[in-house]
Amino acid sequence: MAVGAAAPALSRPGTAPLLRAEGITRHFTVSGTRIDVLHDCTFEVGRGEVVAIVGQSGSGKSTLLNVLGLLDRPSSGTYDFDGVDTTRLREGARSRLRGEGIGFVFQQFHLLERRTALANVGVPLVLAGVPALRRRARARELLESVGLEHRLHSRPHQLSGGEQQRVALARALSRDPALVLADEPTGALDAASSTMIMDQLLEQARVRDAAVIVVTHDPKVAERADRVIQLVEGRTR
Amino acid sequence: MLRSLTAGIVLAFAGSRANVARTILSCAGIVVGVGSLILVVTGSDFGERFAIAYSETNAGRAATFEISVMEEVSDQEALEEDIRRAGAQEVSLFQTPSASVLLRSGGTVIDTADFRGVDASLGEIRRFTMAEGRWFTEADLESRVPVLVVNEDLANAMGDRERVQIGTDRWTDVRIVGVLESSGTDFTWQSAYLLRSPASEDLLFGPPPPGQADPYGDYMPSGGVTYLARIDPGDPAAQDPTGTMFHERLTSTAWRWGVRSSDSVWGYRIDGADVIEDAVTYLSWGLAGIAAITLTTGLLGVLNVGLVTVRERRRELATYRALGASRFTLFVVVVMESVVVSLVAGVIALLACWALVTAAAAVLESFVSLPTGVALAIPPSGVLVGLGSAAAVGLLAGIVPAMRALRSSVVAGLRE
Ligand SMILES: Nc1ncnc2c1ncn2[C@@H]1O[C@H](COP(=O)(O)OP(=O)(O)OP(=O)(O)O)[C@@H](O)[C@H]1O
Ligand SMILES: [Mg+2]
Repeated sequence: MAVGAAAPALSRPGTAPLLRAEGITRHFTVSGTRIDVLHDCTFEVGRGEVVAIVGQSGSGKSTLLNVLGLLDRPSSGTYDFDGVDTTRLREGARSRLRGEGIGFVFQQFHLLERRTALANVGVPLVLAGVPALRRRARARELLESVGLEHRLHSRPHQLSGGEQQRVALARALSRDPALVLADEPTGALDAASSTMIMDQLLEQARVRDAAVIVVTHDPKVAERADRVIQLVEGRTR
Repeated sequence: MLRSLTAGIVLAFAGSRANVARTILSCAGIVVGVGSLILVVTGSDFGERFAIAYSETNAGRAATFEISVMEEVSDQEALEEDIRRAGAQEVSLFQTPSASVLLRSGGTVIDTADFRGVDASLGEIRRFTMAEGRWFTEADLESRVPVLVVNEDLANAMGDRERVQIGTDRWTDVRIVGVLESSGTDFTWQSAYLLRSPASEDLLFGPPPPGQADPYGDYMPSGGVTYLARIDPGDPAAQDPTGTMFHERLTSTAWRWGVRSSDSVWGYRIDGADVIEDAVTYLSWGLAGIAAITLTTGLLGVLNVGLVTVRERRRELATYRALGASRFTLFVVVVMESVVVSLVAGVIALLACWALVTAAAAVLESFVSLPTGVALAIPPSGVLVGLGSAAAVGLLAGIVPAMRALRSSVVAGLRE
């Protein structure tokens, strides 16, 4: 689909959407001045769907992704995830939901320094309480699936940008999340690495039936999405 | 380009070195604090056990009274009965023979030994550790010859321990059934306990041989007796510092054993258990106060390092949150790191104290021989108090940084 495609619609009629954002706004107050970043964001994303969010720098893409990822709460509006109104949830329940259902890939990777690739991928599994032996096996398997079987014991600073992003991707997928959020995951990468990351994200949607939301400036990335949501001055189009 | 690179490297190294130094310094506070706490516990435990051993060996177990009657006692049995009635649970004769007793074994004659006539029940009043043989039993009362227990100093001075005689003006064969361990708590030089029995009656209570004056006759007229008695330390009479209560109880029936003046009856507490307890309590409170101050300094050090690292690690902590860690998990992570640092410091302190105490014990043992059960060592309570306080300090020092870590938002943390 092309950039600026049709209004939000379920890609698979008949199945309930995985997430539904309705009238989401978000404003910040900086030294007494109110900054409205998100005005009215309304859309749905279904399982197995790949959605690209595009928009100018400063249009609020990261802010929206933080809300969708339960890292931040909207100022108003509702956000249902998997049939649950998350705006009513307490912090603990949101953390649990985030751990179980959502995987993040950040533009800056956010890998833990001084930890090996294997340990990094294992962190969500540690939080999930997976025992050490199974954790290692699963982390190894994930790193193999992103083609890093020869970099298991490397630390982030010993890896290239593309390799770090693949570790971050493996970590995001470690608990097989229903929703994968990627904030410019290919921003710092060359074309080949970029393609590889997108292949992985698409596979998660196609094979594991996950919803994938990618924030991107890259038309090539947006092209591969099922649908594109455009963010203009804090409004979805 | 090259300059900014080297500057970056230098700054990075300086920063991390400063951090290591800070961590080590904060640990140092805890090592010193925990170490002094362990030493305080060890020292007061040792002091208490030594003092109690000293008091129990030289005087008697808690609430031991010495009772002297300095007038001729007409009925010893009645007196002993009344001592029991006054509250004593154990009573033993503690009599200096009326004439100085000599001891002969092999070819040597020993005239410097300190003899006491006692009952087997003295073993229940005083703490005795046998080096050889045994203490007196009831069966020894039947012995045809007097029965002795001597201390190591006296045993070592004897030529032949199998053939021993004692006497004032003529020799009597005696049997030695046991040798008492000499230790740093034992300040009598050569001493012998002589069991009161029909066989020793004469030596203990008989008139001094002609020509030999009673060495104690000045203040202990013939016919006078001395006893040791142990009463319940909870008995009000045991806690009466002047001993008046016990004295009154005892002398109310003095006529039964032929004593007219209550002034010639003495009875006062001789063991130091109560004094020791007080002294140890005051001393250890004082020292524990000092240790607590040191420990607080250590706590502030760890707290400082904790606050700095939490600020440096906001991004890392926010990443944990983004990956699904609850705020509580984060809290535990930060607090546990502080606890682990403190515990490591605590273990270092423990090892250092162990080395110190072991060395001190070796030095001490080369000067005095310690009584059995009074070795200088870190007691289990010392280990417990040391590691417990280290963990507590870590916990306390970790809570503030952990609260700080919780307060910062995930999104802000990830932006760092
Ligand atoms: N915590 C905050 N406090 C104040 N203003 C904020 C905060 N977070 C974001 N903003 C503002 O909101 C606007 C949108 O920010 P956001 O990071 O969502 O943009 P974006 O679309 O992701 O941009 P980019 O493509 O450059 O990443 C910006 O103007 C930013 O200054
Ligand atoms: Mg952004």
